[in-house]
Amino acid sequence: MTDVMRQPESAARERGRVPTPPAVVAAAPSGGIELRSVRKSFGSTPAVDLPALSVPAGSLTVLVGPSGCGKSTLLRMIAGLETPEAGHIHIDGQDITAARPGERGVAMVFQDFALYPHMTVAANVGFGLVLEAKHAGRGALPRAEISRRVRDVCDLLGLGDKLGRRPRELSGGERQRVALARALVRRKPVLLLDEPLSNLDAGLRAQARAELIRLHREVAGTFVLVTHDQAEALSLGTRVVVLRAGRLEQAGTPEEIWRCPANLFVARFLGSPAMNIVADSRGRLLGWRPADAIALGVTSPPAAPTDAGEVFEGEVDVTEFVGDRRMAHCVGDHGPWSVEFPAATPVAVGQRIRVLVPAGSLHHFDAQTGTRL
Amino acid sequence: MIAVRHVGLRPRVAVAATGRHAAILIVIIGLLFPLFWVAVTSLRPANDLFSTSPIPWPMSVENYRDAIFRFPIGTMLLNTAIMAIAATLLQVTVAIGAAYALVRFRPRWGGAVVLLAGAAVVIPPQMLIIPQFLIASHLGWRDTYLGLIIPQLAACGLPILLLREYLVDIPTSLLEASIMDGARPAETLRLVVLPLLRPALAAVSILVFVNTWNEYLWPTLIAPQVNHTTIQAGLQLLGNQEGPTSGALLAAAMITTLPVLAVYAIASRRITHAFLQSGIK
Repeated sequence: MTDVMRQPESAARERGRVPTPPAVVAAAPSGGIELRSVRKSFGSTPAVDLPALSVPAGSLTVLVGPSGCGKSTLLRMIAGLETPEAGHIHIDGQDITAARPGERGVAMVFQDFALYPHMTVAANVGFGLVLEAKHAGRGALPRAEISRRVRDVCDLLGLGDKLGRRPRELSGGERQRVALARALVRRKPVLLLDEPLSNLDAGLRAQARAELIRLHREVAGTFVLVTHDQAEALSLGTRVVVLRAGRLEQAGTPEEIWRCPANLFVARFLGSPAMNIVADSRGRLLGWRPADAIALGVTSPPAAPTDAGEVFEGEVDVTEFVGDRRMAHCVGDHGPWSVEFPAATPVAVGQRIRVLVPAGSLHHFDAQTGTRL
Repeated sequence: MIAVRHVGLRPRVAVAATGRHAAILIVIIGLLFPLFWVAVTSLRPANDLFSTSPIPWPMSVENYRDAIFRFPIGTMLLNTAIMAIAATLLQVTVAIGAAYALVRFRPRWGGAVVLLAGAAVVIPPQMLIIPQFLIASHLGWRDTYLGLIIPQLAACGLPILLLREYLVDIPTSLLEASIMDGARPAETLRLVVLPLLRPALAAVSILVFVNTWNEYLWPTLIAPQVNHTTIQAGLQLLGNQEGPTSGALLAAAMITTLPVLAVYAIASRRITHAFLQSGIK
C-alpha cells in the first residue's frame, strides 16, 4: 500500500506530466461546531459540563485553562476519541456525537505529534489518504492524486526535501510540521490541535505561532487549539474560550476577554504579571493591570479619588528589572499590588509611592461571587 | 587479562573485579561441563564409552552413524520441527490478537484475562496433562500432528503477557492517530502495531520455539510410536528398544541440541534485549 508513499519521486513525475495548480490545501471548508449540554466525567469528578458552546466556522478557537480544566477532554470529544455521557456535538449542522473519529470531518495534531516511527514523512502524511482510498473503493482516489496532495501539503509546510526521511531523523520543528501536514492533507473542515507548541523549545515556539496563524489564514478551515498558556491563547486565537473545572468561564475575542474579563478567575488567569485585585472601601473588588497605572510623584499634592480614576498608595517591597520596564511589587493599605513603570522611573525599595489608575482601566468585581459588575 | 583491563584501579577494586569474574567463570564451567561431556563421550568408540579422559581418543563417529542410520532420527527431527514451528505460529498469532485486544479496546474484564494468562504460566503443565490427554485421545489425535500441536496452545499465557508488555509501551497517541486517520482496528494492528512490534515478535517466537522444541512429556504421551513422535521423546525409545546403545543416544542428543543452539547463537542478543526491556524474567 505504501509503494506510492515510499517514492516521493513518483509524485514529482506526476507533477511534471500534468500541470497542477499551486499548493491548495483546502478550498473553503466550513466546520462550525456546536456543543449542546455536553457532559463527561471521570469517576465522580466532572471533567466537562457545558450547557452550550459554539465554535464559529473558519475561526481559530483556542481552548485555554489551567491543567485539569477539561480542555483536552473537550477536544478529544470533538475528535471522537472520548464519548460524552450526555449532550450532542454538531459539525456543520450534522449531529456527529456517535460518528466514528475518521468519519466526522475532523483531523487532529497530537501533543507528542504521534508520527508513525516506521514510516517515512511521505508515508506518514499519506497514511490517512491511502486508507481513505482503500475504504472508498477502486478509482475513488488514485495514487497519483494522493502523491500530489502529499507533495503539495509538504511543500506548503517546507517539508518538500524531507519526504524520504523517518521521524527520528527530523528536528522537533520538522516533526511538528509533519504532524500538521498529516492532519491538513485530509482536507477536513475541522483541525484539532492538542498543545501543538508545547513540545517545541522556546525560540521555535514564537516562530511556530506565527506559522500557525499564517497556515490558518491559508487553509481557511476551522482550527480548535488547546493550550494552558494564556499568552499563546491571546496571541493565536481569533476566539478564546476560557475553561475551569470543566465549566465555561468566558468566550470571546482575545480583545473582549482581555478588556472585559467576565469574572475574577478570567481576570487573574490572563496576563503576566497578573491583574492586581484589591478590595475597595465599598466592599467591592477592584482590578487593574500593572501596566495601566500612572506614577504620581510622592511630592505632588495628594489627589483625592476622582471620577478620573482611583489612587493607590503603598510601599515598594521588591523591584524587578524587565528590559525597558521596571516592575515594582508594593504593599498597600488593602493588600499587595504591582505596577510597571518605564525603566528610567526612579523607584527604590522602601519608598512610598502613589499611582493613579484611570477609570477606564479599572475592573469592578463582586466580592462574593467574583462576577464583573 | 583482567589485570590489564583494570590498570590504574585501586588494588581492592581490581581484586573485587577478579573475584567476580572468577565466580562467573565457575558458574559457566558448571553449566557447560555436562554438554561438553556428552559431546566428548558421543565421539568415543563403544568399548571406550566410560573412559574418564577428557580427550575422546581414539575418536570414532560410529555413534553418529548408528544414530542417523539405525533409527528414524530424520523423521523424528522433521516431526519436532513441524510441531515446534506450527505451535510457535499458533501461539504467537493468538498472543498478538489477545494482547492487541487487551491494550487497544481496554475491555472491562481485561484484568481478569491478564490474570488467567499469568495463571497459565504459573500452574505446572503436568497438572493438566491427564485431562488434556483424555480430551486429545477422544478426539482421535493420538500419533497425529494435530495432537502434537493443538494442545500446545494451552501454553500461550507467556507470549500473551510478553507481547502485552510491549504493546503497552507503544504510545497511545500512535493508536489514536491511526484512528483519526480512519484506520479500522485490524488496519491499526497490521500497519502500525505489527511493524513496531517486530523485534518483540522475533524474541517471543524464538522463546516459544525453543520451549516447544524441548517439550518431552506431551509428545511421549500423545505420540508414543517411533515414527510419529518427536526427537525428544524418541531419544528415550532409542535406548529402550535397542538395548545398551548409550553411545548412539548421546550422539542423537547432540544432534537434537544443535538446532536450538543455532537459534540461540543467531538471536541471543535479541532474546536478552527482549527480556531486559519487558521486565519479565
